[in-house]
Amino acid sequence: MARFAGGKGPFLRLADQKDHGTGIMMRDFLIGLLPVILFAWYKNGIAVYAQGNISFIEMLWPLFFVIIGGLSSVFMEAIFFYFTDKEAKTLKGLMKRIKTSYGLIPGIILALMLPVYTPIWVLMFGCFVANIIGKMLFGGFGYNIFNPALLGYAAIKFGLMGVVNAAGGYFNVNELLIDSYAGATPLTTLQFVDTLSYANVVAPYGNLWDFFFGMTPGGMGETGFAIMLLSYVWLSARKVVRWQTPLLYVGAVFGLSWLVGILNGDSGIWFPLYSIFTGGVMFGAIFMITEPVTTPKNPLGKTVFILFLAVLTILFRFVGSLPEGVGTSIIVMNIFALPIDKYTAIIRAHRWKKPAYMQMGVLFGILLIIAVYAVLKAGNVYSALILPLMQIGGGF
Amino acid sequence: MIFQKTKGIHIEGRKGMSKNNPLVEYFDPEFVYIHLLQGNCPLKPVVEVGDIVKVGQVVAVREGFGAMSIHASISGEVTAVKKVWHSSGKMVNALEIKNDFKNILDESIKPTKDIESLSRQDLIEMMKNAGLSGLGGAGFPTYIKYQTKETIDTVIINAVECEPYLTCDYHFILTYPEKLLKGLTYMMKAADAEKGVIVYKNYNVKIKKVLTELLKDYKNIELFEVKDVYPAGWEKYIIERVTGKTYQNLPSEIGVIENNSTTAIIYSDIVEHNIPLISRPITITGEGIKNPTNFYCPIGTKVSELVEKCGGYVEGLDTKKANYIAGGPMTGNAIFIDDLIINDTLGAVIIKPIIEGLHPECLGCGKCAEVCPAYLTPTEIRDAFKNKDVDLIKQLNANKCVQCGLCSYVCPSHIEITDYVVRAKGLLRKGAK
Repeated sequence: MARFAGGKGPFLRLADQKDHGTGIMMRDFLIGLLPVILFAWYKNGIAVYAQGNISFIEMLWPLFFVIIGGLSSVFMEAIFFYFTDKEAKTLKGLMKRIKTSYGLIPGIILALMLPVYTPIWVLMFGCFVANIIGKMLFGGFGYNIFNPALLGYAAIKFGLMGVVNAAGGYFNVNELLIDSYAGATPLTTLQFVDTLSYANVVAPYGNLWDFFFGMTPGGMGETGFAIMLLSYVWLSARKVVRWQTPLLYVGAVFGLSWLVGILNGDSGIWFPLYSIFTGGVMFGAIFMITEPVTTPKNPLGKTVFILFLAVLTILFRFVGSLPEGVGTSIIVMNIFALPIDKYTAIIRAHRWKKPAYMQMGVLFGILLIIAVYAVLKAGNVYSALILPLMQIGGGF
Repeated sequence: MIFQKTKGIHIEGRKGMSKNNPLVEYFDPEFVYIHLLQGNCPLKPVVEVGDIVKVGQVVAVREGFGAMSIHASISGEVTAVKKVWHSSGKMVNALEIKNDFKNILDESIKPTKDIESLSRQDLIEMMKNAGLSGLGGAGFPTYIKYQTKETIDTVIINAVECEPYLTCDYHFILTYPEKLLKGLTYMMKAADAEKGVIVYKNYNVKIKKVLTELLKDYKNIELFEVKDVYPAGWEKYIIERVTGKTYQNLPSEIGVIENNSTTAIIYSDIVEHNIPLISRPITITGEGIKNPTNFYCPIGTKVSELVEKCGGYVEGLDTKKANYIAGGPMTGNAIFIDDLIINDTLGAVIIKPIIEGLHPECLGCGKCAEVCPAYLTPTEIRDAFKNKDVDLIKQLNANKCVQCGLCSYVCPSHIEITDYVVRAKGLLRKGAK
């Protein structure tokens, strides 16, 4: 009679098979980032070098920048593990911890969001905020509330943007030479144009094709809409992200932007297109709102989350004073991932039967109110229509 | 995306190991052990140590709800009451019967005269006396389903066998296809139903071929094909597909009774020959078995004897790094010592080496929620369980979980998420009391 190992059923696991498991998912995610890294290198390195504006060593800089972002993140996590985790005192234990913490990804994403001539110490500060404050202090991989990369980005954006601007801001050397560039990024232009028109908003930066291929000023990798379609296809095919998620987000931003455009008196399709080509909408859609830890877990929760995100993006972008609404809206919504997850789980469990109407009504009610407010406020209807009405109604 | 209907997911079948080997009959074990446990109910023995029993003689009875009798599966002497392993993963008391190899039948086993004249009540009484229970794995007394007060119009036979590795139902059907159809006919009579449906998996073309041939002589019986997904063998899944209707608690609410194919085959023997439930088919398979085989053997046989007949374990199998699974790989239990005894619900024993790897934390991908056939969100139930929040567990409908195991199956981080939900259900029961 032989003794056998115990264990919990089911005894057949997808994770045991060769091509599945969290490690493989993260590897596929990195492969999905590869086209964007290469694009960032092309746009900020090779294309500039081809025009003879920088030297060969400087051409390699964007690639180097991304690698530093990734490696410094892993290195910081290793130090953190070494000092806080008893099992990580030996090399073997440390390697095991690093292998299941996936610190490379936030670092690389952060590097791709920053302008190319950001000083290295700023990048490292961002990585510190991202990985140590945003992730490890919350309990490590799987426990963080905020998207680590975005938290690092926000810290730089709100605290150190002056340093970044002094070092060159959003323009690479090619772009510095073009006079027609008005704001730092195309979206900042939107803040000080009088009337919304193609000539005012798009024309200074070329045409819509330039936007589509991402040859406009912005973070290193976040502008390349076309190249990110490749990542999208790869990640959906490998089932690392649900294919519906990015589609729904980009679609919702497209639709709401069109509404805003119509309310502003320009119903041309260029405006919603311009809206999704800029400000890292696609980058956020593929690499950030699909980040599993900080977004709701069930399909219904994800849908609600994305709709809220799209509405907030529009709100921040066209009403608030933050030109790049994507990152901010994701950070704000990260806070609400937990309650959304809980409510939608209850709703799902009852399969649209009676007990769920209340929660559902509250969720979509809030969504609708913000959406209507955002769209109306962004369009000038608010001042033209709603304000007089309110004054008539008693001036509340 | 929101209203998605759960379709189940495809799981690699791994049935090839035992599918091509024919069903082997093995009817002379030296000892059998009749568990004094049926479903979750302890049984009361009606024989004593030293008694001589015959094949088919009543040796124990279940009392209270689901009262029925359990029979000796061989003839011989009751030698002891011992604690032996049960497929639920616990040790329970069992009657040890030593085989005298004379195979003396009990007087009650005789061909039924005039089957046509049996009334509905007679047929249900036969199920009860024969101790027939659901042989698919639930072990629910079959006659209770038929005692319903609702009008039944359809009897569905589940021949899907959706769990990987298992092939015993498949072979049992191919060996006794006529008995299956007869059993279904009697079941339809016992339920006053007009229609019978046999549900099978789309790749089992052999079943389709054999049954279509035979169905020419039977009226009112249809075949129904389901896709090769898990859990296609789930009662609710099948009934939703066949009738297009859903039910809350019991299928009889919408006029349907569902039974396993093995139950139907055994039932035809019960009706025609009065042979009670004393034997069942079982698959011995897995990567750790030399020649995986399907057996047809008396209930109470030692699994280790069958394993020996399969050629034993593969050479170099480190048993401390292998699982001994009682039941299918998705819903079965791990047994610690290879001393398991076959009971009425045990359809397979699988020996499978453990694959080791790095298991990171839950990353919240939500794949478990996507595949859940009961529309639950296992991660939320896990969190609620960790916080011992009974109210939230109740709101999350955790008791609707059917423990199909899909959430753990798809989890990329190898988290025992099914186990968390099962424990949450336990907490809910405790909280309700």
